[in-house]
Amino acid sequence: MAETLLDIIQQSINGLMYGAFYALIGIGFTLFFGVMKKFNLAYGPTIMAGIYLGLIPLYRWKAPMWVVFVTCVAGAVVVGFIVELACFRYLRKGHELAPLMTTVGMLILIQETVVIVTHAAPYEYPNIFGDESLEVGPFLIRPDYLAILISGLVFVVLLYLLVQRTAFGRAMRAIAENPAVAQLLGVSVSRMNRLTFALTSALGGATGYLVAMTFGALQPGIASWMTIKGLVVIVIGGLGSIPGAICAGLLLGVVEFQALWFLGVGYRDILAYLLLFAFLVLRPSGLMGRPAT
Amino acid sequence: MKKIVVSSVTLFWLLGFAPGGAGAFQEEGTLRIGGMWALSGPAAYIGSSSKGLSALAVDEINEAGGVMVRGKRVKIVQSVYDDACKAEEGLTVVRRLADSDKVLFSLGPTCSSVAEPVFGILQKRLGDATDTGLQFLFFTDTAIKFGLAKISPWAFRNVGNEPAMFDLAFKLVKEKYPELKTVAVAYESDFAHSVSTWKGATEPAVKKYGYEVLDVVEWRFEDTEFGAQAAKLRKTNADILVMMTHTFTTCGAVKEFKRQRVKAKLMVGITSAASTETLVGCGQAVEGLIIPTNFAAISPKAKALADKAWAKYKADANLHSVPAYENVHAIRGIVEKVGIKNEPATLLEDRRKVRDALAGLGTFQGVIGPIKMNGDDDPVKPRDVDKAIILVQAKGGQWTVFWQPPELEKK
Repeated sequence: MAETLLDIIQQSINGLMYGAFYALIGIGFTLFFGVMKKFNLAYGPTIMAGIYLGLIPLYRWKAPMWVVFVTCVAGAVVVGFIVELACFRYLRKGHELAPLMTTVGMLILIQETVVIVTHAAPYEYPNIFGDESLEVGPFLIRPDYLAILISGLVFVVLLYLLVQRTAFGRAMRAIAENPAVAQLLGVSVSRMNRLTFALTSALGGATGYLVAMTFGALQPGIASWMTIKGLVVIVIGGLGSIPGAICAGLLLGVVEFQALWFLGVGYRDILAYLLLFAFLVLRPSGLMGRPAT
Repeated sequence: MKKIVVSSVTLFWLLGFAPGGAGAFQEEGTLRIGGMWALSGPAAYIGSSSKGLSALAVDEINEAGGVMVRGKRVKIVQSVYDDACKAEEGLTVVRRLADSDKVLFSLGPTCSSVAEPVFGILQKRLGDATDTGLQFLFFTDTAIKFGLAKISPWAFRNVGNEPAMFDLAFKLVKEKYPELKTVAVAYESDFAHSVSTWKGATEPAVKKYGYEVLDVVEWRFEDTEFGAQAAKLRKTNADILVMMTHTFTTCGAVKEFKRQRVKAKLMVGITSAASTETLVGCGQAVEGLIIPTNFAAISPKAKALADKAWAKYKADANLHSVPAYENVHAIRGIVEKVGIKNEPATLLEDRRKVRDALAGLGTFQGVIGPIKMNGDDDPVKPRDVDKAIILVQAKGGQWTVFWQPPELEKK
């Protein structure tokens, strides 16, 4: 009995820490949706491209990891800019599904480009936190997961300050509330869209660096993985809600780890999608989203 | 309207749907062969290497003048397609290779889950006019699931015999480490090769040599987190970890094992993981991993091939890709021997001739040693090969030979 309890706690700790990934990915998706009212399905591949670009200084010049981190962030911002240009900026207004389709196309394009360039071979991604877990009483804590949890908190605080305490954040909120009125008040919607892309891509690059480091090895399939997880998180959390994305990410992490431990890998995905289904049916606005009017 | 029709036809033609013209084949001095592998998606790293090694064989043959057909040297032209390790893509590609590109035979596919349905649409009864299955020859290099060549007499394979490979692996491990008694197993429950290798090859070997299986954990082919499974394996405290998982998840898992202090005395891996990708992707975490394979750079010829394939095509020479190279050379020999006509009108006849010759080929030369093709009448493994098994071990960032047959050692 005591051992089962320890297992539950251990898997909850793991789930919360891993859920921080999901939360960070979900925040990126939700920022897009909050400001632009559109889904960007190329967000996962944008992050993945940033991570792969980060490999260039590492493998070519054996650059230190901070250079890799900066390259990841800068790479994701550049790719995010290309996505904004190709999939959003010049699309005619009024075609709600058009960005969805263009970003699906971009998802495939970026993913397959990386496959061709890298031959889809896995690349080792060094982990600056080493390969040892910390022993805290009877529990094992992965230092890199802990770092992600802490980084996630720092990112969220910085994001909160940016959104709530700066002119940029005010403009962002104004557009999220009512783009037409915001424009009348002098906010440039297209400029804000570009800045939102830059912000979310930078956040994605930073998250991607942490994700790649914890995975240990990198392969292009992670783009789809991030896209699917991100979408699940924003639906459960509520479209456009940052606190919702955080709670949903952590919840999803815990549910997955408990399911994996007690029921096996098959039930992990079943339970995660049952959770999604339950929210869609019983609470379509998600944990913290606004009910549809 | 007329414009639309003309443009559509032109576009259709330009996109490569043009049928083989009357002037093709022997008249234009070419011999058409095909290849279909997973060149995108998660298994692309396996398919890309097969593509590279087959291209290398084609280059060698063409640089030496080509294939002698009806007294004339013709160059090999290879049509290559990506099946993305998806059955539906594979079924489209095989039709295209057979009917549009009109190739003599095809290499591939990479994935057993593609080979199974693709072989399923091939003719089952040779020479039976009522059997309308596709009369198309496959000489597969990678799809390794046991027994696939039994599906059709048009399916041949130069792939490893995994039941024999793991039988040998555990026999040798037992001899060398008699103190090891227990095993714990991990496999990818959504990947056909992983499941079939565990259930059809490794589990019988483990039981045969008296190992106690303490736990079996599963994950998915594209999973990235292995914390819960590692914790379960740690609790077993097993002597041997049997990793029937492919490179990407193996790398993530072994690093997690290290973090969670999973202290097995030995690790045995799946055949497909005996590649450079595993060493590059996993680094030090796979140190000591033992894998049965059919290829290792154990001779100057094998080493030269591996170096050339990497230099020219960035292709890794391993147990899946080297057979693509061997198969192209073997077919060249058969074509020169049986005397095909190499005309569009005689394509089915040519395919049948080559098929029959392949079934009766017997022993042919592989890169590291002789390979024996079993004929149609082999009761256990028709149209599959028997070849040398080597055990490699990851040491210091390289694959080293853990064991090799004495006859190869002498060479």
